[in-house]
Order: sequence, then structure tokens, then C-alpha cells
Amino acid sequence: MRMSRLTDRLATCFFWLAGCLIVLLLGWFLFKIMVEGLPQFSWHFLFGKPEEILAGGGVGPQLFNSFYILFLSLLFSLPIGVGAGIYLAVYAKTNRFTGLIRISVEALSSVPSIVFGLFGALLFVNWMHMKFSILGGSATLALLNLPVLVRVTELAMRAVPVSYWEASLALGSTRWQAIRRAMLPSALPGLITGVTLTAGRALGESAILIYTSGLSVSRHFPDFNPLAMGETLSVHLWYVQAAAVVPDARQIAQGSAALLVIVVLIFNLAIALPCRMLQKRLTGGK
Amino acid sequence: MDTRPGFHQSLKELERDLLQMGTGVEQAIRGAVESLASTDEKQARQIIAADDHIDSMMLQIEERCLRLLALQQPMASDLRLIGMALKITTDLERIADHAVDIAKATLRIAGEQLVKPLVDIPRMADISMRMLQDSLQAYARRDVQLAAGLASREDEVDKLYSTILRDVIALMGAEAGVNRQLTHLLMAAHDLERVADHATNIGEGVIYMVTGKRKDLNV
Amino acid sequence: MAQPKIKVEQLNLHYGENHALHDIRLDVGENTVTALIGPSGCGKSTFLRTLNRMNDLIENVKISGSIRIDGQNIYAPDADVVSLRKRVGMVFQRPNPFPMSIYDNIAYGPRIHGIRKKAVLNEIIERSLQQAALWDEVKDRLHKSALGLSGGQQQRLCIARLLAVEPDVLLMDEPTSALDPISTLKVEELTRQLKEKYTIIIVTHNMQQAARISDVTAFFLNGYLVESDRTDKMFTTPKDQRTEDYITGRFG
Repeated sequence: MRMSRLTDRLATCFFWLAGCLIVLLLGWFLFKIMVEGLPQFSWHFLFGKPEEILAGGGVGPQLFNSFYILFLSLLFSLPIGVGAGIYLAVYAKTNRFTGLIRISVEALSSVPSIVFGLFGALLFVNWMHMKFSILGGSATLALLNLPVLVRVTELAMRAVPVSYWEASLALGSTRWQAIRRAMLPSALPGLITGVTLTAGRALGESAILIYTSGLSVSRHFPDFNPLAMGETLSVHLWYVQAAAVVPDARQIAQGSAALLVIVVLIFNLAIALPCRMLQKRLTGGK
Repeated sequence: MDTRPGFHQSLKELERDLLQMGTGVEQAIRGAVESLASTDEKQARQIIAADDHIDSMMLQIEERCLRLLALQQPMASDLRLIGMALKITTDLERIADHAVDIAKATLRIAGEQLVKPLVDIPRMADISMRMLQDSLQAYARRDVQLAAGLASREDEVDKLYSTILRDVIALMGAEAGVNRQLTHLLMAAHDLERVADHATNIGEGVIYMVTGKRKDLNV
Repeated sequence: MAQPKIKVEQLNLHYGENHALHDIRLDVGENTVTALIGPSGCGKSTFLRTLNRMNDLIENVKISGSIRIDGQNIYAPDADVVSLRKRVGMVFQRPNPFPMSIYDNIAYGPRIHGIRKKAVLNEIIERSLQQAALWDEVKDRLHKSALGLSGGQQQRLCIARLLAVEPDVLLMDEPTSALDPISTLKVEELTRQLKEKYTIIIVTHNMQQAARISDVTAFFLNGYLVESDRTDKMFTTPKDQRTEDYITGRFG
């Protein structure tokens, strides 16, 4: 009896410590990055063009490209990913074929991103002659996101109580009506969370884009041409640390890192708040 | 697999109580008829006193039935059993009342010389008592055949009653004392005829309880 | 005698290898309440779901035989399932309102069948809630979430939701088993009133409920329809010994 109380206390202590450790680690990590990176922020840094030789370059185009590529990749991957997810959750019968699909999706989502990068380089850059371009980067990024989106959608749909589906059908709806009116509104929060997480990770992808969208930016800014070269913020971060010759490389890297973290944070918040409001409206406000 | 053993045990106890009451009523009728035949005043008084006990048995059975209906929601054969138990207990109580009436008749003609030796009355009594016995047997053994057989014997009892009625009318004359005695005897015979009737009712109850069908044995 | 509203003949249902319903034959009269009783797993819910083809949603289900509603076989190859489910509505065991406002819940059915005008919807919603004996309780909070209602109110809401599409037949799958006794009685009373306009079939575990509200009772056992008869006859003098044993609790 006393033994179990002791182990209970030990376990509680351990969990507390683990939690505190995480918070501390996160705090220290953020602190370090911000302390070194924030001083770099200036109007020119945020929106100016980069320099190859001289100091004082900015990351404006890279920031733009990060979002542009993200946007294009979601444009490609969302319809297919969400569609496949809905198919698996609602329409697919339980047989070997769908089992195969699921295993494939699982396998794809665990492929290292650099492998995707190489695949994208071979397919889009070389074989389709896209060369290093925003389009090539978006397409490859779309491939990376696809399995995750399928999984996220399927899970979000399956989390909706099956009673909504049954109730809708029992009222004489078609399957699409049931999905659109009864299931998607409930699945939407989970779906949006999943997509946001995916997008957040995609903003930070570097390996995959090195081989597909390249290491330079177009001369104009902003340039909406998808065939232009599209170095993103995260790639630039790597490039500046690894291969740049400008004298303020380290500062640019630190500034980029801080910017990246802040951008992802803002991005998540910007989605989460409207999502919360949407959820309230869809569920009629309790 | 009986999912309501407690309830079904209560039903068995109900049956047992009913049969016990039946035994008491049988004894009452037998005692009453004996006392009439041998003008035994003491026995007659005992019969009259014992009626209270029979009445209280009836009330107990009624209570038990109502309680089972309220608390157990019986269905089908269980429902018929309880419904018929209520009916049978009433028939038995009425039979007991007739026993009391016969005993009272004994007291009223006590000490007198019988105008005519009793022949038909004992015969009626015999048949009626056997009918009562059989109706209770039919109940105990759920014997539908036995119950149905009561119909023909009731006819016999009716015939005997008609004979007695004729004889009494023939014997009635100018003497008040004789008329009084004859009237009491006639009423006793009537009581016996009613006993047979009630026994038949019990038989009908048994048939409905077992088969769910209604059969009129009193035609 | 008038044509029965629903005529089931030689109905057999297989879940894969499992032969779940054997040769079911049943007539259901118009504007009656038919109760389906039987022990767990006897097939009564499965049978109920064949009446609006909800079993189609389950994989590996094979159905043979015919079910005619108003003379038309609902399992004919060219039968329209969507319009069937509009005519034959279902209330489930656990109340399942959508996570929307009360208004939107009831408007759901009419909207999917193309009714959009606000005036028409308002009228339908009031009528349905009146029929479900819920109007007075919710008329001031139509735009609040349906999830804020009590269990009994939610179930009546589901009934109102189903009435809004103007069905002919109401199927109820143990509609009160998740409700408290007072709500149960309210739903039973509602069923009694609805019978005047609709044909109702109700699956229930509670024999006393079947006895209270139904006109006809059908007893299922191991996938067979053992007996069906007028309720008063069924509960005083059942014909089959198995029915007798079940009703008196001599077997579970």
C-alpha cells in the first residue's frame, strides 16, 4: 500500500519534470534565436533584395517565395489529398485494395524529404525541363504534403460521429449531401488544424527545395512568374550558413532563423483564431 | 432459463394459498351437510365460526394478487393465472357462505322430527361436494378434461333440485311448522345447487387459465 | 380488407456467412403502431433497417425477398433509395441532433430536398415542432444549439426533424432506451398521437412499452419472426410456446 503511494509520487514528479524540461528547452531555444536574430530586423532586411558579395542583404524575395511556393503547393495538394482522404473515410470498402492504398500512404509519409527532393529534381527539373523553378518546388512540395493530407483528412472525417452520417442519410440525403452538410462542418476544425500543421512544416522545408526551386531569386521583386527561380527563406538560411561569401553571413542567418520562427508562429495563429470562430458559428454557438 | 424465479415462486405460493382455501371450504361444506343430516347443532356452530377464517384467507389472496399485478407486470399465462385466482377465490368464498347457510338451517330445524327422511338432499350434497373437490383438483393439476366434465354433473344437480322442489311443494300443507321445516330444507337444497354452480365456474376459470379459451359450462 | 401499407415477403438477409433473417413475412397496416420485440441479437433492429434500406450501408450484406410499400417493391433494381428514405424516416436509439442550431437541424431535411425560401422553411419548422410536442419549449431559442437540449428534448427534436420531410412511415429503433422515465412517457404519448397520420414501427426492449403503445406486436427470435398478432391477444394468449416463454420471462 505504501509502495504504490510512493511510486505514484515518483511518477507524478517525473511527469512534472518532463513537462518543465520541455518548457525550459523551448524557452531557451526561442530565447537564443530571438536574442540573436531580432536585432537584425530592419525594413531593408525584411523586404530588401539579397546581396551576393556585399554586406547588408535582405531576404524580401525569399520571404515572398516561401509563401508563394507554399500557396502553389497547397493548390495542387489540397484537392487531391482531401479528396483521397474523403474517399478512404467514406466510400472505400474494406478490402485488400484499400488496405494497399493505406499502406502506400503510410509509407509515402515516412519517406525522408530529401529523397522527395531528388525525385522532384529528376522528374520536374530534368525530365520535364522545368529547371529550377517555383513551379518545380511547389510540385515536389505538393508530393511531400499529399500523404499527410490524406491521413489528416481521413482521420478528421472518421472523428465525426457516424450518427451524423446515418441521420443525414435517413433523412433522404445523397452521400455527397451528407458529406458536405453534416460531416465536413464537424470535420473542418480537425482538418484545418492538420492542414495548418502541414503548411507550417512546409514553410520550413529546405532539403526538398534545394534541388527543385534552386538557390537564387529572380531579379524582379515581386515576381509572380512560376518558372522563375525560387529560393525560399529556409533554403537561404542554409545557403548563407554553408556557402555564402558575404561578410555578414552569420547575421543574415540568425535574422532569417528568427524571421522563420516568427512567420510560422504568426501563420499558425492567423489560422487558429478564425478557425475557432468558424467552429463556433458552425455548431450554432452553445 | 427462468429469468424471474422470484416472481414464479410467488405464483406457486399463490396457488398453494388458493388450494389451502379450497381445502378449508371443502371441509366447511362437508361439515355443514353432515350436521344437517344428523342435526348436530354443535358441528353447525363450529362451521359458522370457521367462516371468518375463510374470509380472511380470501382477503389475503386478493391482496397478493393485486400486489403481483402492480409490481410484476405479469403477461400471458401468468396474467391469466392471477386473474383467474381472483375469480376463483370469490367463488370459493361464496361456497363457504352457502356452507354457513346450510349450517344455519341445521340450527333452525334442530330438535324437530323430520317430515320426510332426507334422500335427495344427501345425494345432491354428494355430487356437489365431489364437483368442488374435482374443480380444485383440476386447478391443482391444470386438468382441462376434468374441468370440462363438470358440465354434465351440474345438469344432474339441477335435476335433483327440481325433484326436491316438486316434493316440497307436494308436501306443503296447512301446518305452519311443517311448512317452516320444508322451507329451510328447500333453501339448503338451493345452497347445494349454488355450490355446484360455483364449482362449475371454477372449472371455467381453470379452462381459461390453461388454454386462454372461454368455455361456458353452465348451459 | 385494405391493402397493407407495408408487405414483407420471403425476406432473407445475410451478413457475409451469417444468415441473419430467415423468411420474414409480415403485413403492416396503415396508421398503426407495430412493435418488434425479442431478445438481444434476434434480428429486430436488422429487420427494421431493411425497411429504409439502411442496411445497404453495411458491407457484405445480401438481401433477397421483397418489401412492398404502397405496392412497390423497394428492393427492385430500379428503386430510388434516396426518395425511399424521405418517405420512410428513422429515429435512432441515441438522439443524434446535428451540431447546429435547432432551426438548422429541422431545416436540414427540407433543404436537402431543395426547399430554400425562408417563409416556407419557417412554416415547416413550426409545424414539425408542434407535431413533436416541442414547439412551446423551444420557440424562443430556435437559433441556439440543439446540443443544449436535454436528452428527451433532443429525441423529440430528432422526431421533428424527421417529420419535416413529410414521411409516410416512421421507424423507431429503441427510441426511449437512452431516456429518463418521464421523457420516455412523453415520447410514448407522442407516438400515440402521431399514429393518426403516420404508420409507425418501433423496436423495443421493453415489453411493457410495447404493450402500452402498440396495436400489433411481432416477436423475433434468432432471426425468425415467430409470431405476430394484435397486442392485446399477444400479451394475454400468445399462440406460440416460445412467445409465451419470452413474455413471461421463463427464458431471457
